[in-house]
Amino acid sequence: MSGYALDAETAKDRLQSELSRARYTLRKVLEDNAAKIGFAIIVAFVFMGLFGPYLAPHHPIEHTMRADGSMMRLESPTTTAPMGTTSFGKDVLSQFLAGARPTLIVGVFGGIGTGVLGFLVGLTSGYFGGRVDEALMRLTDLTFALPFLPMALLILSFVTPNIWLITGVLVIFLWKMPARVIRSEVMTVKERTFVKSARARGAGHLRTMFLHVAPNVLGIGFLYTAYAFGWSIVAGASLAFLGFGDPTMTSWGRMLQQVYRSGAMRVAWWWVFPPAVGIAAVTTAVFLVGRAFEELVNPDLQTEQE
Amino acid sequence: MTFRRFLIKRTAIAAILTLVAVSVIFATLRMLPSDPFSGLVASGALTPSQVEELRALYGLDEPIWVQYLKYIQNLFTFQFGLSLTQQRPVSEIIGPALLNTMVLLLPALITTAIVSSLAGMYAGWNRGSWFEQFSIITTTFFRATPIFVTGIFLLIIFSYGLGWFPAFGMRSSMANPEGLAATYLSVDFLKHYILPFTATVLFYSGDFLMLARNSVVERKGSEFLKLHRAKGLSEMEQLGRAGRNSLLPLVTYFALRTGMLFQGVITLEVVFAWPGIGRALVQAILNQDYPTVQAAVFIMALAVIVMNLTADIAYARLDPTVEAGDV
Repeated sequence: MSGYALDAETAKDRLQSELSRARYTLRKVLEDNAAKIGFAIIVAFVFMGLFGPYLAPHHPIEHTMRADGSMMRLESPTTTAPMGTTSFGKDVLSQFLAGARPTLIVGVFGGIGTGVLGFLVGLTSGYFGGRVDEALMRLTDLTFALPFLPMALLILSFVTPNIWLITGVLVIFLWKMPARVIRSEVMTVKERTFVKSARARGAGHLRTMFLHVAPNVLGIGFLYTAYAFGWSIVAGASLAFLGFGDPTMTSWGRMLQQVYRSGAMRVAWWWVFPPAVGIAAVTTAVFLVGRAFEELVNPDLQTEQE
Repeated sequence: MTFRRFLIKRTAIAAILTLVAVSVIFATLRMLPSDPFSGLVASGALTPSQVEELRALYGLDEPIWVQYLKYIQNLFTFQFGLSLTQQRPVSEIIGPALLNTMVLLLPALITTAIVSSLAGMYAGWNRGSWFEQFSIITTTFFRATPIFVTGIFLLIIFSYGLGWFPAFGMRSSMANPEGLAATYLSVDFLKHYILPFTATVLFYSGDFLMLARNSVVERKGSEFLKLHRAKGLSEMEQLGRAGRNSLLPLVTYFALRTGMLFQGVITLEVVFAWPGIGRALVQAILNQDYPTVQAAVFIMALAVIVMNLTADIAYARLDPTVEAGDV
């Protein structure tokens, strides 16, 4: 009987209904004003991440700004350099535009990696329970016990950091968050009648897990993927600020590290504000949208008046 | 499962977890391609035989499993050995740094736990009010923004811009206080304290506020509150009842956060040049000072495990609906 193993047709069907549900949810979320602003910021950020390097008037590292034959060091904003220059004579505007891309890469891949891995672990753990659950949960306990930033610094201190490696390290330490939440959701969903009847009709474990249980926790999964996007950006920027970023790329975190190291923070507000405001705006935007979304998916918050 | 068995099982798990965690730390450190002494040969500062002597002094020439056993034994007796780069016992480096971190973070955490929880309960009670909107957006901003970015904003405004507070360290370079009281109870210290303290309070406020708000919202429609309303209690009295019932998640969260306190807030300590454990750890990593790194990471991991255990036990004790069997 074809219907009771996981096949392409049913999967496609389910995917379609999930998509229309997602569109509906997005509309609902955007009714919230804070979420609207947050969403606009995220769209602008993604645009900058994709096209920023092409919009930048100069190369962020190789090009040195000069005026009258001498290097422009720590110049406040002028018409030639609308956001001023760094103490190495680089154009801050170009660095800011180009710096969105590494920040976006870490956010997107760290977020998706964390979301997917956490979702799968949580689903498996909650669905099977017993020894599988015990083993996976002790593993999450272990990643909770090992302090994230110190361990990440240690690992990155003996390999040359590159952006993919950093993203990987982030995923290794962040997946536990969605995993725990998804697991506890799955444990309540799998006790419901429709899951039991699917099993009774002879649906396999895979089919039950992915077609009957998973759609009911997908919302939470997306929520944590969004949060993980924010966490990854924060963690990536923190690592870069401590000097453990990808040395070949100008990210916003690295810009902050350079201005801090050079001691120019005292005067060069034009060098500090673009990356600092950029990071703060994007992470806040992610959490504002996430919060509005959480009000929808968390049934406990639905107890409206009387 | 009785409470006693639950207790024994959780403690055993915590102990095993600690052992695994320190083994992971050991393995990670031994994967480092070089030790700090090999650089000395390359630079010609020492002859290879002198380096061998040094390595023997620190026990780095023994088989790896002997090193491992000694490492475990020393950690659990809190013998952290000598720093490789500073020629003094690791405990002399870690101890004061840990104290500095605690002095900064613990008061900040307690302050924000109380203030933000109360604000959150009030916000949840007045759902849809401007106060709720405003408090959520503000605290979300400070929770989402990396703490060092908040720190940089504070520095630029209050230190460089207005010149109200010093930017670096825990005391001014001229001050040379003797003893604990003189170190931590002076106007000079207070001036250095305010900015990092503010950054920490703002950073932690979001979680407590949202937790408190959500649990009051969850309880608002519940039966026992209807009863209280029927009894004729005022709004504030009702909120008091709802708030008391929302304390459990807050207490648990406070315990977990306290455990993570020992990790310091590394980037915050770096921004404000606060001589805490996080900053000490970053420096030790950069100097490849194994014993200090080991000790610092061990203390951090141990604190998290112990506080998690405490939270679990407190939860099982306080909440009668938590089935002790569900571990």
